[in-house]
Amino acid sequence: MATKADVANIRPQSIGTSIPRREDPGLLTGRTPYIADIALPGMLHVAILRSPVAHGRIVGVDLSAARAMPGVELAWSGADVAPRCAGIMASLDQKGFVATVQPLLAQEEVCFIGEAIAVVVATSRAEAEDALEKIDIDVEEIPVVATVDAAMTTGVLANAKVPANLVYRSDRVTDDVSDAFGAAAVVVEGCFHTPRVSASPMETRGFVARHEWTTGQLTCWAATQMPSFIKTMIAIHLQFPEQQIEVITPQVGGGFGQKAHLHPEELLVCLLAIELGRPVRWIEDRQENLFRATHAKQQVNEMALAVDQEGRFLALRDRVTTDGGAYNSLPWTHLVEGHCGILVVTDPYRVPALAAETISVATNKCPIGAYRGVGFSAPTLAREVLIDRAARALGLSPFEIRRRNLIREEDLPYTTRAGLRIREGSFLATVDRLEAMIGYEAFRERQESARREGRYLGLGISIFSEISGIGTRALNFLDFPITSHDTATVRVEPTGKVTVTTGIVTAGQGHLTTLAQVAADAFGVPAEDVTILSGSTSHAVGFGTVASRSAVFGAGTIGRAAEMVRAKMRAIAARLLQAAPEEIELSGGMVHVRDDPGRGLPFASVAGAAYFAEGTHPEDFDPTMEATAAFDPADIVLANGGHAAIVEVDVATGQVRVEKMFAVEDCGRMINPMIVEGQIRGGMAQAVGMVLLEELIYDDNGQLITTTLQDYLLPTALDVPDIEIAHLETPSTLVPGGIKGMGESAMISAPAAVAGAVNDALACLGVTIEQFPASPRRVFAAVARAERT
Amino acid sequence: MRRADVGDRLETIALVNGRERRFSVLPRTSLADALRDELGLHGVRVGCEHGICGACTILVDGRPMRSCLMLGVQADGARIETIEGLAQGQQLHPLQDAFRRHHALQCGFCTAGFLATAQGLLDENPDPTREEVREVLSGNICRCTGYQTIVDAIMEVAAQRIADRQAAAGQTGMETSDGD
Repeated sequence: MATKADVANIRPQSIGTSIPRREDPGLLTGRTPYIADIALPGMLHVAILRSPVAHGRIVGVDLSAARAMPGVELAWSGADVAPRCAGIMASLDQKGFVATVQPLLAQEEVCFIGEAIAVVVATSRAEAEDALEKIDIDVEEIPVVATVDAAMTTGVLANAKVPANLVYRSDRVTDDVSDAFGAAAVVVEGCFHTPRVSASPMETRGFVARHEWTTGQLTCWAATQMPSFIKTMIAIHLQFPEQQIEVITPQVGGGFGQKAHLHPEELLVCLLAIELGRPVRWIEDRQENLFRATHAKQQVNEMALAVDQEGRFLALRDRVTTDGGAYNSLPWTHLVEGHCGILVVTDPYRVPALAAETISVATNKCPIGAYRGVGFSAPTLAREVLIDRAARALGLSPFEIRRRNLIREEDLPYTTRAGLRIREGSFLATVDRLEAMIGYEAFRERQESARREGRYLGLGISIFSEISGIGTRALNFLDFPITSHDTATVRVEPTGKVTVTTGIVTAGQGHLTTLAQVAADAFGVPAEDVTILSGSTSHAVGFGTVASRSAVFGAGTIGRAAEMVRAKMRAIAARLLQAAPEEIELSGGMVHVRDDPGRGLPFASVAGAAYFAEGTHPEDFDPTMEATAAFDPADIVLANGGHAAIVEVDVATGQVRVEKMFAVEDCGRMINPMIVEGQIRGGMAQAVGMVLLEELIYDDNGQLITTTLQDYLLPTALDVPDIEIAHLETPSTLVPGGIKGMGESAMISAPAAVAGAVNDALACLGVTIEQFPASPRRVFAAVARAERT
Repeated sequence: MRRADVGDRLETIALVNGRERRFSVLPRTSLADALRDELGLHGVRVGCEHGICGACTILVDGRPMRSCLMLGVQADGARIETIEGLAQGQQLHPLQDAFRRHHALQCGFCTAGFLATAQGLLDENPDPTREEVREVLSGNICRCTGYQTIVDAIMEVAAQRIADRQAAAGQTGMETSDGD
């Protein structure tokens, strides 16, 4: 019986080679359209009035002056939208989870700065913005829940619909760790704050909708990572017939998780297009993106690690609080931070006892959402910094303490205390490789001599494993009771070319190239003979490009669909070559007898025979040369690796400079090493941003005070050093070709390396940094504090 | 200096990618929007509209400028080059080709701005160090690549140009070999 978890046989040929990207010529010449380049006849433009206060009761919204402005076609407030759509319902079938409904335009209550209150549609964006200024809003301010502490202590509700401000609490892993902590030779603990950050893709969010009432067709252009999901959600939320919706994804200018949500504006634009009978376009500006496009990473991890005299871990305790914002984002909800993270917090290490508790609280802030590495980044950072601290306390090298605790070959399969079964990995080899790349002894000598000159160098290391290729098994493990599989359709054309349609879309990760490599190897043809059709929901169904899943789901779906068509190629060739179908192989553009390419036929001839030469068909042959198949891995696909960073801290200014970074990555068999390295480097740059530069700051009134790139600092070419990369390859048995995912790896683990490096640099001064970003102000203050005591 | 009311569209003439273009824009329209909306040059990307991200960088009279911080009407009489004018026919410019081979782009949104800055840099300083390249690129933000491969691509083009120039000056192959 065929199942969605079947692993097709794909023999790597194009897989493993760094072929240049087929996406690039269009992108390098300005020819590939992004969402803001979609221009339709009669198209109208949207501008949104956003709340200037963090928490308030809406007394009145007067649109009359705005409606009279030149160029204005429509102005709506919450009252206009309410009868058409109740809002985005974000719920999970999980005990104790508090669902939220986020209105498209605020109804009686606004719950955060930037929440949409009214919308104007006009013939230009500028005219729409002019009209926004004419809208008179009367909002009565109510007390603000600006922090997690306030949420838990003051009794004020951030969102009237969330009792006690508590969205979710989990204590799924509650070992008794008191004995272990009592017996420990060393206990290291800290209270780690990771910053609220923004994925900040260089392209902001956008959405265009066109409704044709004569046919009932709703066509949407969306800068999204999840087109099929958006289509289904439009159908459900607007009660619109799903078969008449097409969601088209043009080139997406970076997503990083931010474009993996259903945003209220997307439903709003559909409603406006239906109402007006004209195409409607919404392209947000940078301020809106920073205000509203979901934030991420804000967790507090109160973590402690118990270690014996030999440096062996005895137990880990973590209490995680997520500052989740006013609503749950869809589909990830508040669970995207603390709840994910805690279940993998011990992953590459043997930790015999784990006590973990997580809560998510509602605050008057922008909803928390997915950003590369999601809730894995924060606990990984805390854990790795503590491991370094334990090593220092015991006089062990940071590599040695990890070696003593990492899961070894003979431990496999190993089940963590959180219940994750680890099948394979290269944990120890990663540490060894990283140590060799850095030249550890030489670094310590250099650090020592620099210190004598008053310069503070530090080395930070992070070893990680990553749940990649996230499907149903992984989502369920992470407390999301969601079924997630994709499909792909594969067609062998009459001339022997191959067309693949997939639900996987790209926001820059190179899928049009790498999926072609996979499909080429599935048929044993050159990659140039394969076209990947992606970016329309009329192509295929899928959950989209999130959670480092596309390489895995691409290989899985294409592999299974190709298997079905390949069987037909084999059947015809077997008859023509007078061999058994089991003896027939496809490679090098030929369909031939195994191990004898000379006794074969060109792939194109067999394809042509299937279409045009009935005489070649075996009895009862079905000449359908295309197939659609679903895939969902049978179990969790775990990738692994490690990162290191060397920094120099200027204690006179608090400035941290990253001198060099290192990465070891094991994502199973690489499809395209050049693209894998690009993913690693990009993730490491974002890690530098998160740990040293980026922070969305809300003041005591819940006012967001970082709404431009002047205040919200993204890493530049001067902040990110050259990065040295090494690869290990431990193939997955659950995915064709042995492929694993890795898109998020660096943002899971590299923040820990940078944070560890800053702490290592300052350890000799007795300074620890647990609050990030480690801005000059924070570092300077910490050093000054240490000098005073 | 031309005088106009807010609502007047002003006739503007500029040399855009080697051809004279006439377009009319409102005084409040940025040059980035004018190029995109009036001339259909969508390769000009708008990332922040406050002059920080550099995605809208174009060459104005040969120098990299933020087109989001210029008005469309200020283009009057200027020579403007955008990414659309870089390739020769269907032949990628050496910078474009090097960006492709070094994987110096992912989502591609920042690419036009980086190419404009790189052109300006190499015209001004034909033999930059890696540090100088990073310094000049620091006004362009890329969220995907981590920058290293962008620096690699520009360094290679710089070296190749020097090698070509030396070869053209009739020097021996020996001296140009470090340009590879």
